Amino acid sequence: MRNDRLFIGLMLAPALLILAAFYGYPMVENVRISFTDLTLLKLKKGGDWVGLENFREFLGGREFGHLLFNTFVWLTALSVVLRLVIGIGIAVLLNSPVLKRFNIATLAKLAILVPWATPPIVAVIVWRWMLDPQNGIINQLLLSLGVIDDPVAFLSDLRTVWPAVVTIIVWNTVPLVTLAILASLQSIPAELHEAAGLDGATRRQQFRYITLPLLRPTIIVLGLTSVFWTFNNFVYVWLATGAGPGTYTNVLATETYIRSFVDFQLGYGAAIGVVMALMMALFGVVYFWIVGNKMAGEEA
Amino acid sequence: MSGLTSARDAALPADNAPGMGRRRRFWRDPSATEITVVLLLTILVLFGMVYPAIYIFYGSVKVAGGVLADTAGFTFENYVRIFQSGFGQFVVNSLFICITATLISTAVSVSAAYAFSRFVFRGKRLLFGAILFGQMFPWIVLVNPLFVLFARGGLTNSYAGMIFCYVAISIPFSVYMLTGYLATVPKDLDEAAIIDGASRLQIVWRIIFPVMMPGIVATATYAFLLCWTEYLFALAFLTKPDMKTLPLGLYQFFGDDSVDWGAVMAASAVTTLPTLILFLPLQSKLSAGLTAGAVK
Repeated sequence: MRNDRLFIGLMLAPALLILAAFYGYPMVENVRISFTDLTLLKLKKGGDWVGLENFREFLGGREFGHLLFNTFVWLTALSVVLRLVIGIGIAVLLNSPVLKRFNIATLAKLAILVPWATPPIVAVIVWRWMLDPQNGIINQLLLSLGVIDDPVAFLSDLRTVWPAVVTIIVWNTVPLVTLAILASLQSIPAELHEAAGLDGATRRQQFRYITLPLLRPTIIVLGLTSVFWTFNNFVYVWLATGAGPGTYTNVLATETYIRSFVDFQLGYGAAIGVVMALMMALFGVVYFWIVGNKMAGEEA
Repeated sequence: MSGLTSARDAALPADNAPGMGRRRRFWRDPSATEITVVLLLTILVLFGMVYPAIYIFYGSVKVAGGVLADTAGFTFENYVRIFQSGFGQFVVNSLFICITATLISTAVSVSAAYAFSRFVFRGKRLLFGAILFGQMFPWIVLVNPLFVLFARGGLTNSYAGMIFCYVAISIPFSVYMLTGYLATVPKDLDEAAIIDGASRLQIVWRIIFPVMMPGIVATATYAFLLCWTEYLFALAFLTKPDMKTLPLGLYQFFGDDSVDWGAVMAASAVTTLPTLILFLPLQSKLSAGLTAGAVK
């Protein structure tokens, strides 16, 4: 028994040590840095203690409301909702008996994977090209169809920049939702629909009263996980627009990066990081409360 | 959770099996309109999903002037050009960092997963939860303090620093996947070996490791892909041109006011091809594992 305990300790130690060194210690260090005016020049001797100055400047600044709105509404809420709605829609479509009858269900499932297998960095690049005002295929298409008279600079026009960024995010991330929902759909026993059909329920009623309630747990988990992934995501906005035009598409993640690594105000950047981490912790509580309750409900 | 996979397997045979008649009565025969609508929608969706990815490869083999030029022709010139301008170094850097990180993280994760799946100990649930939490952790928040620590320790612009990051970001996922895998390996195997006098360590390396090889390969492949496409840490910690990884190297073809799209697409293709090839065979394991991971 005693041997077992030593053995367990040795087996777990490497993973735990690495994670503590990567997640734990830097987070503590981050809080400390956030109370200093650390910059690149002061890196060797460390910054001076400024108390809550960084937080006061950030939370009281004019940009803060704009950052919150961009992060929560445009980046997170819009793309998560669209990803779920479109993902469910595609899953229902791919689950249609028509596709099986024409033997294209498997082919369709493979095709749906392609965006997911495309690295986010590459996804942003190829969409930047397609959306390019000079030689982008989308402008060419819209021009030749007569929808627009002049090329649109999708990623620098204020009216189109957020929809364009959200399009890129949704394209790249919708397959995971589709596949998860598809798996759930196929796990619903056919007898349920059969019985409902015999009782005279229409297809729409069956979807509303049988399919959706059964998909709910998967949808909730996918939605909450998506919130984490999207809220913290830096790559899409940074590579698609560089937070521009101006600071129009700036979000919390890009602001942290810009402050820390473009302006090299490491203390200030750390303070934004602390605020983001607190917001995520709040999400985390909600997440574990909902998912925990759900699992408790399943076991009961 | 496990319902995702098992139930899907259970549902599939119903379409091909002799029970078809019963099913068809329920579904009725779809009307011609329904068939048309479903097929058109499907083609539209699949086109939208696949087209941008095809565009990458298409764009990379077009002669200068772009996809839309009348003088369309096939050429590998873009590929030759990017490798002449030093793109090979990025490939080498990426391969070295990602393969090393994957090997370390897999070894570390296999042992942790073994402890989680085979033993009951105090604080197990808490520790397992804490490790999984790493998957949701805001990396952007870590970059700043890590940069300060790395800069002091001379780890910026080093393979060691990047490997450390990539080991750490792939452990949470790997531990989760491997623990799930080990749960399907019967404990009788361990017990029989103990009776035969094998030590715990021998059991792990001689018996468990070979049995769960398919799971290890799948997990390691995904860990590799995670590192292969990582951008944020590389961007913050690698500033010297000859240290850069592929995702960073891609962006050197973006000029200040003009973009060499042919070169960018060739570089993108070089980055994407390995992920496509490695990813597709893995997907069924992954989609179940990832979504289940979200539940646990």
